Amino acid sequence: MTTTLALIALLDGISYASLLFLVAVGLTLIFGVLGVLNVAHGSLYAIGAYMAATLGGWLTAQGYNPWLTFPALMAAAILTGVVVGGLMERFLLRQIYEKDPTLQLLITFAVFMVLENVQRMVWGVQPYFMSEPLRALGNIELLGIRYTAYQIVFLPVMAILTMVGLRYFLRHTLAGAKIVAVTEDREAATSIGIDARKVYFVTFVIGACLAAMGGALATPTTSVLPGMGANMIVLSFAVAATAGLGNIEGALLAALLIGVARSFAVYIMPETEVLMPYLIMVLILLWRPMGLFGAVQARKI
Amino acid sequence: MTAPLLSARGIQIRFGGVIAADGIDLDIFDRENLAIIGPNGAGKTTFLNITTGYLKPQGGSVTLNGREILGTPPRRITRMGVARAFQIPQLFTEHTVLENMLLSAAVRERIWNPLRPLSRIRQRAEMLDLLDLVGCADIADRLASELPEGQRKLVDIAIALAQRPKLLLMDEPTSGVATADKFGIMEILIKALREAQVASVFVEHDMEMVSRYASRVAVWSQGKIQMTGTPDVVMKDPDVIRTVIGG
Repeated sequence: MTTTLALIALLDGISYASLLFLVAVGLTLIFGVLGVLNVAHGSLYAIGAYMAATLGGWLTAQGYNPWLTFPALMAAAILTGVVVGGLMERFLLRQIYEKDPTLQLLITFAVFMVLENVQRMVWGVQPYFMSEPLRALGNIELLGIRYTAYQIVFLPVMAILTMVGLRYFLRHTLAGAKIVAVTEDREAATSIGIDARKVYFVTFVIGACLAAMGGALATPTTSVLPGMGANMIVLSFAVAATAGLGNIEGALLAALLIGVARSFAVYIMPETEVLMPYLIMVLILLWRPMGLFGAVQARKI
Repeated sequence: MTAPLLSARGIQIRFGGVIAADGIDLDIFDRENLAIIGPNGAGKTTFLNITTGYLKPQGGSVTLNGREILGTPPRRITRMGVARAFQIPQLFTEHTVLENMLLSAAVRERIWNPLRPLSRIRQRAEMLDLLDLVGCADIADRLASELPEGQRKLVDIAIALAQRPKLLLMDEPTSGVATADKFGIMEILIKALREAQVASVFVEHDMEMVSRYASRVAVWSQGKIQMTGTPDVVMKDPDVIRTVIGG
């Protein structure tokens, strides 16, 4: 493998890891606070991508400035997170918080299957593309390699901003303090007048928006197709488990580890591409059963 | 006598075959410190759970200033003036003591802006005064998880007082505290309650604690109230000595 190829693999990995992180951190936040492993998180990723492609495609067809596709990506993510995520929490998750984890897994998996078919009904099976954001930002040259600025600057910056923003939000703002309080002791939080149901709702919507943002931001880099949600949910489970479920900073490192390893696999041994994330997860879990940063019975977010 | 603050009538609750409340009648008055004593399993904690809305009894009524509160969710009851401190103080451990207090104040004030930094909540001075009241002003900037048990209890009480309750319920306020510190902590606590003009109900097993700090005692026995009265009368009652105090 030449240095150039290695560098390309590294850049591919970083760009992919940024998207992976956005989805995985949403999953891990929801698990940390609500205690539910939400398989339908993958649907939110896919629907976010379809919404972004639709909205961006419409803007482009109307002849608007390509820079407008950036706010369109954000709008698609927030719309999907709030509407689809909000409905999901209100009418489904709320009914199963007290239930057996196996049942929760089965029910959210069922929702995932239903939504997968809803996507086929609404958007069909043909792929969607939207390259305007990619072209708007242009290319940059890095050690003799030309790479899109969208993938190697914009996406990592978004991932880091998300991590810093989420940490600040949880640690320093009023809403964040309520979320931490409900996570640590729901009963005691209720006893000072915090509405735990509202906190659960808000947390779920934030997590859903993160998944949808991952999908929306992925749209310019990939074709939007049926099945993309399944791919992503499986990978983000691997990231969240590798990091230790509920761990935010750990998710960034685990996403980077898995994203980069996966892209090296693509160049060196393509047949191991699908296997690689699980191989890493298994190795790390054998070494540290609670994940890289997980601790037994420690804080959850 | 003045009208009671909280009034329970005919409370009935059973869990399977166990009767935890079998017609409990009890009035709690402004600014008194009522101790609840009785053997394990007599239904003392159950009573606290009912008056704070965490358990719904099968029969009876509980009124606060004449308004029925049964069926009201716990956080609404908190807003109406009944606060609770826990047997194991559960503070929000990653935040400082002052941030814990500010969170409690922000919830009370219904501050709507979810992104407001905790450090910019205006009740700072008021919260520092409350911490001072329980002798914890000097640890305002420490993480709640670093505190020794006794101080955690006091901070937990301050968090509850930040809700401006009229009545504070406590389940063994000094359990888990070293014997040498127990009386000191209870001393501070009772003084703080008096200054904040808050009535209290506390479940207690330590009879010396009861006779020193309670203004009235209610004796629980098998889901019923065996007797109520001032500590000196109750503690001399032969039945109470036999069933509760032991001897």
